[in-house]
Amino acid sequence: MTSSPARPNYTLTLIATAFVLFWMVVAGFPFLWTTWGSFKVEADFFSRADWSNALSGVNTIRQTGDAFTMDGYKGAWILNDFWRAGLNTMLVTVVVTVLSLVLGTLGGYALARSGYRYAFWILILALVFRAMPHITLVSGYLVPFFQLNIWGTLPTAIIVLVAINQPFTLWMLHSFFLSIPKDLDESAMVDGCTRFQAFREVIVPVMWPGIITTGLFSFLLAYNDFAVTAMLLRQENQTMIPKIASFLGSIESEGNVMFAVSSVVSATVPLFILVMFFQRQIVGGLTAGAVKG
Amino acid sequence: MADIKLKGITRRWNDFIGVDNLNLDIADREFLVLLGPSGCGKSTTMRMIAGLEEVSSGEIWLGERMVNNLEPKDRDISMVFQSYGLYPTMSVYENIRFPLRIRKVPASEHKERVLRAAEMVELTQFLDRRPAALSGGQRQRVALARAIVRAPNAFLMDEPLSNLDAKLRVSTRAQIANLHHELKTTTVYVTHDQVEAMTLADRVVVMKNGIAQQIAPPMDIYNKPANTFVASFIGAPAMNLIEGHLEAGTFTSPVLTVSGLPHRHSGPVTLGFRAEDVAVVSEGGNLAAPVYSVERLGDSTMFAIRAKDDLISLKADKAASLAIGDVVRAAVTAKVSHIFDGTTGQRIEPLLIPA
Repeated sequence: MTSSPARPNYTLTLIATAFVLFWMVVAGFPFLWTTWGSFKVEADFFSRADWSNALSGVNTIRQTGDAFTMDGYKGAWILNDFWRAGLNTMLVTVVVTVLSLVLGTLGGYALARSGYRYAFWILILALVFRAMPHITLVSGYLVPFFQLNIWGTLPTAIIVLVAINQPFTLWMLHSFFLSIPKDLDESAMVDGCTRFQAFREVIVPVMWPGIITTGLFSFLLAYNDFAVTAMLLRQENQTMIPKIASFLGSIESEGNVMFAVSSVVSATVPLFILVMFFQRQIVGGLTAGAVKG
Repeated sequence: MADIKLKGITRRWNDFIGVDNLNLDIADREFLVLLGPSGCGKSTTMRMIAGLEEVSSGEIWLGERMVNNLEPKDRDISMVFQSYGLYPTMSVYENIRFPLRIRKVPASEHKERVLRAAEMVELTQFLDRRPAALSGGQRQRVALARAIVRAPNAFLMDEPLSNLDAKLRVSTRAQIANLHHELKTTTVYVTHDQVEAMTLADRVVVMKNGIAQQIAPPMDIYNKPANTFVASFIGAPAMNLIEGHLEAGTFTSPVLTVSGLPHRHSGPVTLGFRAEDVAVVSEGGNLAAPVYSVERLGDSTMFAIRAKDDLISLKADKAASLAIGDVVRAAVTAKVSHIFDGTTGQRIEPLLIPA
């Protein structure tokens, strides 16, 4: 058959576009709605009388004199020390990501290049641990941590998060390493590298996209974690997610819920920036076609 | 620069033997080719010399040093890989410079040495490119340049031309031959292509199932193959082999009878002859059979005939005009015949007839 360019089917294109638009609204609406609402007062955003109050902001105007207010943010960030939770989150996520990546690249490389069968069983074991609900690990940790008197501190939470995250980073990086031909290590070693130099000088530069992708997932795990941080951290050491939960849990005084809403928005923005910034590396296959013709 | 000695090296994986008790003295400046079908242990042998593969038993000597327990980096060798093994994140210049940088050669020498190596393989205009932006032949030349940028004990080349197309293979082959002539560095070269082996080697090691079948200069291997395996592996087309019986200097088989053979041996044998040694005749001859296939090569014409299960190829000049089914006749003389033992396949030397 001669190839003729397919005639555009307008009906189909229309339906597809409509569906995509619909899907985008469904997916994006909750976040947009929350962002919008975070600049209102509780009486508007959680209005039982009329949902359109959240749009017009009648009560917001009555209470503050303007259709938009920063009260929610002020309450959360300044009055309730949400900035401290933000700092804690930053510390926890950065350290967890770095530790996970260091252990994960070294371990993943070793497992990928190991000729022994036990490497396979280590990975299977890792998968089993990965499959366990996080809370099962945490409940087991609680008593020993109390006895050792290390409960409630950030390093403890970091260690547990790294432990929970490690199976995943191992798997992910292991398969990235497998996709790099052994010839690269070998030619580096013949060229004068030790095994570790070959890893550092040759393999890691090729691996950057994989490391960044894995790092991003590690970051998200630590950033979004609730089970570990809620159970293992003292009040003043809390990270953002348990802090938000505690805002939601204390609704007896008006306005607390709005603290939660504004902190949710605050916690989401960095994620957007992060994903935007690294999207090229996440998608990119920097090494494609470079090794073989 | 150094000689390489392999003393009874063996590589075993559980009960599989990759290389079996290989003894080899590679002289300084020699170009040695390891030749064999895939899985014969030739690459394993090279990787053991490089230090990328453990030696199960035996010793490897590089010059005055026993290197069995040395890391690859301490053996001071260069290697060219079949898949090039270039570093994708570095430019061509950085790729070639890499061994100098890692081995802490004074930085002031780098540029000059990289440029000289790049010039030898005609890469000067590509130094800024990434390997991904090069063709296969150019990539392989980068790998060559990276190998020659320092003066190692030896070059190891693992099927360097296998990934190139036929035309590039010829020109790169010539380049490798020229490089060896210029640099005079001991070279071990692994290939499954007998043409590469014939054209490049000072000596060829023909291997099969981890065992060296014959170690000799190319022409000796061509003229006096040590056994039927070597005979069938070397030459294009391969040597014709016909099973039969030898009695009092006369070889008999259903398709061919040759008499006057200077071999004092009787019993089952295999007679071999090369297509290019045998004349296709129009009348007479001791081999006659219908043509099975015709291949016109331009300068000559190859006829294949069937003898039991095997095809026998005959070479005629380009004017030969037989078609499939016609009877082709050839005269196989005692002089061009090679005789191999029928059971072991080993070559049986003719008795020297005093002149």
